[in-house]
Amino acid sequence: MSYSLELRDVRKSYGKFVAVDGVSLGVPEGSIFGLLGPNGAGKTSTIRMIMDITAPDAGEILFFGHPRRSEDLRRVGYLPEERGLYRKMGVTEHLLFLGEIRGLKRRELVPRIEQWLDRVGLAEWRKAKIEELSKGMQQKVQLIGTILHEPDLLLLDEPFSGLDPLNQELFKELLLDYRKQGKSVILSTHGMELAERMCDHIGLISRGRVVLTGELGAIKRQVGGNSFRLVAEGDLDRVHSLPEIEQAVAQNGIVKLLLRPDADGPEVLRQLVQFLRVHEFRSEEPELEQIFLKAVRDAA
Amino acid sequence: MRPENIVVIAKREYSQRIRSKGFWIATLILPLFVVAAAVLPSLLLARSRAEQRVVVVDATGLVAPQLLKGRPKSEIRKASEEVAKFEFLVEPPSSDPHAQRAGLDRRVLDKEIDAWIWVSREVLTGKPVEYHAKTVSNVMTQQVLREDLSYVVRRVRLAEAGLDADRVGALSAPVDLETVRISKEGSRAEGGLAGAAFAYILFLLLYMVLVIWGQQVMQGVLEEKSSRIIEVVLSSVRPFELMMGKLVGICLVGLTQFSIWLVTLAAVATPGVMASIAGLPEGMKLPTVTPVMVLHFILLFILGFFVFSTLYAAIGASFNNLQEAQQLAGVAVFFLIIPVFLMLPIINDPGSTFAVVASLIPLFTPLLMTLRISLEMPPLWQILLGYALTFGFLVGMVWICARIYRIGILMYGKKPTFQELWKWIRYA
Repeated sequence: MSYSLELRDVRKSYGKFVAVDGVSLGVPEGSIFGLLGPNGAGKTSTIRMIMDITAPDAGEILFFGHPRRSEDLRRVGYLPEERGLYRKMGVTEHLLFLGEIRGLKRRELVPRIEQWLDRVGLAEWRKAKIEELSKGMQQKVQLIGTILHEPDLLLLDEPFSGLDPLNQELFKELLLDYRKQGKSVILSTHGMELAERMCDHIGLISRGRVVLTGELGAIKRQVGGNSFRLVAEGDLDRVHSLPEIEQAVAQNGIVKLLLRPDADGPEVLRQLVQFLRVHEFRSEEPELEQIFLKAVRDAA
Repeated sequence: MRPENIVVIAKREYSQRIRSKGFWIATLILPLFVVAAAVLPSLLLARSRAEQRVVVVDATGLVAPQLLKGRPKSEIRKASEEVAKFEFLVEPPSSDPHAQRAGLDRRVLDKEIDAWIWVSREVLTGKPVEYHAKTVSNVMTQQVLREDLSYVVRRVRLAEAGLDADRVGALSAPVDLETVRISKEGSRAEGGLAGAAFAYILFLLLYMVLVIWGQQVMQGVLEEKSSRIIEVVLSSVRPFELMMGKLVGICLVGLTQFSIWLVTLAAVATPGVMASIAGLPEGMKLPTVTPVMVLHFILLFILGFFVFSTLYAAIGASFNNLQEAQQLAGVAVFFLIIPVFLMLPIINDPGSTFAVVASLIPLFTPLLMTLRISLEMPPLWQILLGYALTFGFLVGMVWICARIYRIGILMYGKKPTFQELWKWIRYA
């Protein structure tokens, strides 16, 4: 498999605090890769090293199959979690600036900017100052700034935080479009539902380490045999007391169960009917959130 | 490092700032002020010239006729002519002085005349001349009248003593110093006071430009940090490129402003404008500014700007907001203020050992060397040594500040301690 980006045993410490502890990951070409993990897991530190904003203490970072060169970064579109704009600049002017620092010439930028502003419905605002735009419009400008140079790899850190629903749709549409073109997207987020819908590969980070990585479908299948859906009446809290059950999450009368690897489904059902009126008990694909919680817990 | 990134960043800084209203207000207010200060007083004086009808009661019989003749042109200061003009009406002293005085007072109150003066016999032996008017706060008008009377009374006294007033005047004329500045390009006559004033003004302009634009650098860095644009930019340019681009851009803005001020100064210094400035001694000439001097001023501005602004940039990067940063910014201002204290002794003796040594200290060179060059051209080796030392110092400053900047710019939260700053500098 060829990778757009590969990390090999990357480490970073700040003083005594180990932020990234030997992370190894591969982002396959043409994939949307979810870089997942709770807050403080080391996602942003990892991203900053990928973007060469900070230097790793050890390890290797490969872009498009070779060790990173500074010009590779110009093939990356990066949207940091902390993203701002120069408030006093005009919209077009700001985008020109972002394009120019990525090595593009004015004459190729101008038509591209026009096109993008048209596409996201900001054509009338091209001369307005950033500070005159609504928050949603500013988010669109940030997005255009990220992709204006037509990067081969998008690196988005919590891209959906603070987005209004319309912009969320716009962002999603764009990411899927990107994948269709055979380009890769890295989506760093702690929002599992979204990652589940969009990503085909994931890397789970917890406390600076990768606890699970691979193709999402395969991971689900691997964990899948042990995931069950239970609809029942009675003392649902007692479900936790069964030693075969590793995880039970109840929501709207439905309990999602994750059994221990060596547990047997029919045996668990036999125990459950002793204290519950079971309406439904069937095997199903686990949700990413369940996998995430299990992996983080296992790692701890 | 990509120099083109520095150019893009510098271009943004320059075009953003040069288009702001604030820049033009700040830049034009000074020349406007100078022009106003230069031209308005003479305009106002010309409009407000006092014209007074003054009755002269002359007991000596000698003063009034001469007063009517007036002073020769050469004896009148230009300023006096602009301040007041008198129409003298001579009346003989009457036998009843009291009645005469009362009559004159009435005429003043009836606005028939503006004032009356009483020249008694004793005036020739030193008594004052009496001046009666409704207001006596018109000190400038009185000054002109005093000059007129002094001239006349002096002549009368000399004549009484049997001396030829014209001859005595010629023999007792005061001696002036004609100051000639010697330089390699040749000697020329030049006003000493004007030279000092020119150096002083230039020094203050440079001081202002350095403080204003240094602070601007700091604010710009803080804004980038607080608006969180910094990380977007840093994903495409190195922190060093960002810092240098910012410094170059703002340096050019400062240079634009400094040039506008220098041009104003040059325009004011032309003889035509100088002549219209009230209160300046006549024939006062400002020193001519040679292209070599201008070149030095520009180089010194650039060196000074970079030395202080690099420091300001590092301070801006280390803190989270203006209030925090201002505390440490005081340190930069402190090094700018020291030359202000050293200015007077250097103006008085620009070639002294003290002046030479002080102007070779890197942090002071930009301001003090400018001062010295505008006073008298120092030997070339001193200027070059000053450049070399400051440049060496600058390289060190950039090295240290770029390290602080690189780390500080991504740090949010608490104020760094000095130990932490030290750690940032040593951090590879």
